[in-house]
Amino acid sequence: MSQATKEAGLWTAVKELPGNFWSSIFRNPLPSSDLERASTSFTNFFLHIHPVKVHRNTLRPIYTLGLGLISFFLFLILMVTGILLMFYYVPSTTQAYDRMLDLRGSVAFGTFLRNMHRWSAHGMVAVVFLHMCRVFLTGAYKKPREFNWVLGVGLLLVTLFLSFTGYLLPWDQLAFWAITVGTSIAGYAPLVGQQIKFLLLGDATVGQEALLRFYVLHVAVLPATLMLLIGVHFWRIRKDGGLSRPEEPANLAVRVTAVPVEKAVEEKKRTYGLVGFVRGPFTKIGNIPDNSVYSWPNLLMAELFVFVLTVAAILTLSLLFHAPLEEPVNVMHPPNPAKAPWYFLGLQEMVSYSAFWGGIGIPTVFVLLLLLAPYLDRNPRGVGRWFARERLLANTIFITLVVVKVIFIVIGAFFRGPNWSFVSPW
Amino acid sequence: MRLALAIASFVVLIVHGVVFYDQFFHRWERHQEAYFDQARALSKNQQERAELEARAPRIEQVIVTSFGDTRVDRCGTCHIAADDPRFQGHAQPLRTHSYSAALGDTLRNGRWERRHKFSDFGCTVCHDGQGRGLENYYSHGEDPYWPEPLLGFVTQANWRAEFKPHLRGPEYLEANCAQCHTEENFAGTPHVSRGRKLFFSMNCYGCHRIEGMSEGTLGPDLTEVGKKWRVDYLWESIVDPRANLATSFMPKFQLSDADVESLVIFLKSRRGMNFAETSLARYRATHAAEIKPAAQPAGVRGEDLVREHACTACHKLGAEDGGIAPDLTFEGLLKDEDWIFEHFRNPRSRIPDSIMPAFRFPEEEFHAMAGYLAGRKSPPAPASPAETYQGLCARCHGEKGNGQGKVAYYLDPAPRDLTKAGFMNSKPRERLLHSIETGVPGTSMPAWGKILPPERAEAMLGYVLTTFTREPRREQAAHRVPEANPVASSAGSIAHGEQIFVQRCSGCHGRKADGKGPNSLDIVPRPRNLRNSFFVAALSDRRLFDSILYGVQGTAMPAWIDYGLSQQDVGDIVNFIRSLNQKPTGSQYARR
Repeated sequence: MSQATKEAGLWTAVKELPGNFWSSIFRNPLPSSDLERASTSFTNFFLHIHPVKVHRNTLRPIYTLGLGLISFFLFLILMVTGILLMFYYVPSTTQAYDRMLDLRGSVAFGTFLRNMHRWSAHGMVAVVFLHMCRVFLTGAYKKPREFNWVLGVGLLLVTLFLSFTGYLLPWDQLAFWAITVGTSIAGYAPLVGQQIKFLLLGDATVGQEALLRFYVLHVAVLPATLMLLIGVHFWRIRKDGGLSRPEEPANLAVRVTAVPVEKAVEEKKRTYGLVGFVRGPFTKIGNIPDNSVYSWPNLLMAELFVFVLTVAAILTLSLLFHAPLEEPVNVMHPPNPAKAPWYFLGLQEMVSYSAFWGGIGIPTVFVLLLLLAPYLDRNPRGVGRWFARERLLANTIFITLVVVKVIFIVIGAFFRGPNWSFVSPW
Repeated sequence: MRLALAIASFVVLIVHGVVFYDQFFHRWERHQEAYFDQARALSKNQQERAELEARAPRIEQVIVTSFGDTRVDRCGTCHIAADDPRFQGHAQPLRTHSYSAALGDTLRNGRWERRHKFSDFGCTVCHDGQGRGLENYYSHGEDPYWPEPLLGFVTQANWRAEFKPHLRGPEYLEANCAQCHTEENFAGTPHVSRGRKLFFSMNCYGCHRIEGMSEGTLGPDLTEVGKKWRVDYLWESIVDPRANLATSFMPKFQLSDADVESLVIFLKSRRGMNFAETSLARYRATHAAEIKPAAQPAGVRGEDLVREHACTACHKLGAEDGGIAPDLTFEGLLKDEDWIFEHFRNPRSRIPDSIMPAFRFPEEEFHAMAGYLAGRKSPPAPASPAETYQGLCARCHGEKGNGQGKVAYYLDPAPRDLTKAGFMNSKPRERLLHSIETGVPGTSMPAWGKILPPERAEAMLGYVLTTFTREPRREQAAHRVPEANPVASSAGSIAHGEQIFVQRCSGCHGRKADGKGPNSLDIVPRPRNLRNSFFVAALSDRRLFDSILYGVQGTAMPAWIDYGLSQQDVGDIVNFIRSLNQKPTGSQYARR
């Protein structure tokens, strides 16, 4: 009898194995009720970064344009393609270029990987910048999101530096001279400029030491920094109460009930979950009408959509356009003009007027202004709407600076010929 | 949204399909399969057929380590039949590489044997191109970024269209033959040998340095020019030197297309150290050998030397005209032997901004040539002013008197534009006549008074003023300028003069007062080089004061009296300018 039970047990176990295995991983079935939807988000490691419910405004495509997500997905693509490229790359001045040729000629999917990595990198710089513009123009950096804005500026800088360090690695003429120009700009900094340049290059000129340093920065130091910052950035989004949104109409206003911690602990009569201690707009006690929807499936579908769209765009770009690979490095023969990567062309253009002010002074002021923006602009109104009328001054200043920056980049990219003289592109 | 998601997913799928197709169906595989099929059909040997049957496409490569940097040549992946003699009549890429006795291949028992085996030499050592590439676009170097396209076979898309037809042909491969076959008259590289001869006979060596061959310093060093540049750039630099560098003063020599081709092939073969030498051999060659053009047997006549050294590649001498440098036909009348000799030894000791290189010939040869030129004393036949102008003046001042004669570009200072009435009419007639009769020191304007008697010089001036200047002279208000500089020269005066000069004058005349200030390129005529001692020494204080205070009409020099310079200031500037130029001793042209 017991034998039979045992056999039946084993048989049942085998029969139920797929189901048990599945349910051991995914603790909830595909949700059909609100409770299950909440539970799905809460119990899955990859989903629990999401809140259970998000505000409707968060899902309005026209509000976020999905730019933050696109940057993150581009970063994921960069990680995957970058790691695959690392299998083939050697950071050595004698081998790097040959490895590029091998990637192009004889490594399976080599060209395609490189194209994806290249276009994603350019795309990430552009999209991170646009994301910043979106956040500014919707006033989303205001209290309580000031520090997340600061983190965001840090992320922009790290992204730029990451792209810049990657620029050198193919070790072709484009790489060599772009980095020569870029690091020379750093050399204009007062007092420490030459030291910074030397620290970056490990030498007086771009050479083997610089290649190795840029490689280590590019594949280890900066991605780690970026991941850390992204983690904190995401965490802060939730802790700051989700994405910014307009103030609720009066009839929907949420009354925030702050529960004094000491009191809660002292009062033994009621027990609160951890949730009960969380202060802020999301702490809901009682049944308060709100304007939020469940993350599953609304937010997830939106994210999936952005992801597929990003991947599709990058794949198509990589199929149509090849990443440039110019001549092997020739130290004796600079191209004329030698141009920095496009996102630094604005700097280079400004440097052509004044080395210190264009290369160091004005950019430092820009970055400081960006970092301090939420602390200088304390006007709490106009959050959560594009081009809010209350923020006319701030938006005008910001747009002006952005337009000036873009104009400088366009001039540097298209209107500068040999000896940095003005040429007409048509 | 679901529809959009579906479309986007579909795009992802399609792109994957295309990428995978690209990845797994290479063109070279099809070439190899075609080769296996055709070779099987041609084969008479059962075993060979079986072997061919069993072969699958793969990348064929040769790793070449004996010639410079390690090369990885994968050309045989497509050109898989290159060493299979049965494929001689086939179309590329499946054609046998030609056999040739000239390349050293030998015919033994009806079978050719290669001198340069592909397994030892690879392909790119001779042909250039990108050995690692597996697609035509990259491997043949059609990609404009690749510095070494297949020599003589591939022209890149961005090359100038008019050059492209010249840049094809197997003779360009000689540039690579010469990497090992460095003998001067190696039979296999006739174009390189011819180019080398032209390098000397067209006087290229006077300006350009090639390590172990020549010592010129005026132009770029050409020791590694073949490594740095593609053939299209070399061609362009020879036939149109200013295309790449607007300020280049390299002359456009009169060369046939065949000459240019030989020079390009010769230059393409200059790659610094070549495969044939070790670093030690190179060191010995460059440090032990004294570079001298082949010595002339003693007692050679100057006339022969002038021909030998190809002076007429630039100068005019009798009927021969290089179209670049001044006419030497009447040199004996215009200059004396000492002047010519000193000028040979260092042209810039006589004409400070001359572009003529200082050739390193033995002194005897200079003496012989100077003697020959000084002996040319037959004057031109008397003629009307118009004919005289066309014979003596037009080569520099231009047939229309606009200062655009055919050698004008190479003269510094440039010949005066005689049509500019503003200048011509603001200067006293005596000064213009003086310039014709005694020349302008420190410039290429010779003293025509030694050829033309005073009345003919007078008639010439009249001709110029009526034909070119045309506008009648108008009397101008008298200028208040001192005859001699009233300010005594002293250290303080010079320092003050320099201070004003740097503030007011250096924008055009340059900080060094050499006439090469930042604005100088936009100004015609160019600002004066105030370090030209011969010129400055011949200027009177009066003329300096006049030019500074009242400007020079018809040029960019403004009247500084309008900008608040006092006589005292100008005196200091004049002292400063004089202090830059030590008074030349000897004749007005000669300085020893």
